[in-house]
Amino acid sequence: MRTPGLQEAFQDRVEQHKKILYKVCGAYCRDRDSREDLAQEIMVQLWRSFEKFDGRCQFSTWMYRIALNVAISFYRSEGARKRHVFSDEQRLLEAVVEPERQPEEVHLLYEFIALLDPLNRALMLLYLDGNTYQEIAGIVGISETNVATKISRLKSKMKEELGTKKT
Amino acid sequence: MDLDVLKEKWAEQDRKLDASIRLNRQLLVAAKMNRLLWPLRRFSILTGIGVFTALIVLVILGRFIHTHWAEPRFALPAVSLHIWVIAYIAASIRQMAMALQIDYDKPIVLIQKQIESLRALRLRVIRWALLTGQLVWWIPFLVVALEGLWDVDAYKVLGVRFLSINVAMSLALIPAAIWISRKFADRAERSTAGQRLMRELAGYNLAAASGFLATLSEFEQESRN
Repeated sequence: MRTPGLQEAFQDRVEQHKKILYKVCGAYCRDRDSREDLAQEIMVQLWRSFEKFDGRCQFSTWMYRIALNVAISFYRSEGARKRHVFSDEQRLLEAVVEPERQPEEVHLLYEFIALLDPLNRALMLLYLDGNTYQEIAGIVGISETNVATKISRLKSKMKEELGTKKT
Repeated sequence: MDLDVLKEKWAEQDRKLDASIRLNRQLLVAAKMNRLLWPLRRFSILTGIGVFTALIVLVILGRFIHTHWAEPRFALPAVSLHIWVIAYIAASIRQMAMALQIDYDKPIVLIQKQIESLRALRLRVIRWALLTGQLVWWIPFLVVALEGLWDVDAYKVLGVRFLSINVAMSLALIPAAIWISRKFADRAERSTAGQRLMRELAGYNLAAASGFLATLSEFEQESRN
């Protein structure tokens, strides 16, 4: 049963980890309205599952799993999706610093992430955020060895794709 | 261009993000969140209504078959409808059971497999329903409805020839529909719904779902290279 205390606890937790929402939406969607659409879908799933969150894992790990699962499904069904246009009051998430004013290196990273398939995007985001191979393996559902191999391949791919660009 | 160097820049940017992202807490209110859950519940509710309606149809058809068991010209069309409705109910229940198992809190590869398997099942059911539906819900339905509702023998009123030609045309329509949909699947640009229908008839969306399931299996496997 959802109590008022639960709502406030949910708001506080999400506020603490809003960066996860921002980064996942930025990695899986190009335009502002799609990012907002995805943010709201992630929020709904987080709310739906929040009652069951028992603290056995870190909240960030739990939030990443849900956010990435929703994002991958969203990305794969984008062609069939009804487009929404949001007014400023309807927006859940807004960056004061717009992507084009981000540091060049971060912009390049998002460019590289956009070249990846949805599964490797998840790996890349988790790695960039400083998660250990063990944590990444737990979120993604593959072995640690597999994570290490894939990250190594992503590093090589990055050198190939962006090697000529200068920072 | 070293990823580990860029990772440092990412971490620097990350430290500033809290101050530069605004979250609209007014949208994180339970009432608004619960309203947004409605589209997710809609699938279960609509499927439930569909199954309930189909069960009623099943009972009605069952009584008709029982009454006309000694008359194959009525019993056979009714049995074909009956089988179609049973298959529809079974497919719907299976979809609901699969949907209930999806918990976004679980590891990505596991959940994406479940989601894509559900999507593949749904696409198979839609394709099957579109291609066979016109076969059973035209002439067999007409024969059963005329006899069941108004005591009208369709074989006498419309003639065996008319009924046979229409059944043959319905059968021929199946490969024709697949051919047309493959030809025009990528051209129905004005209508997203039209394009989706074409792609589902042609099996393209099902092929995409199967492809992603294969991708997930490959992703899960450790490469020895």
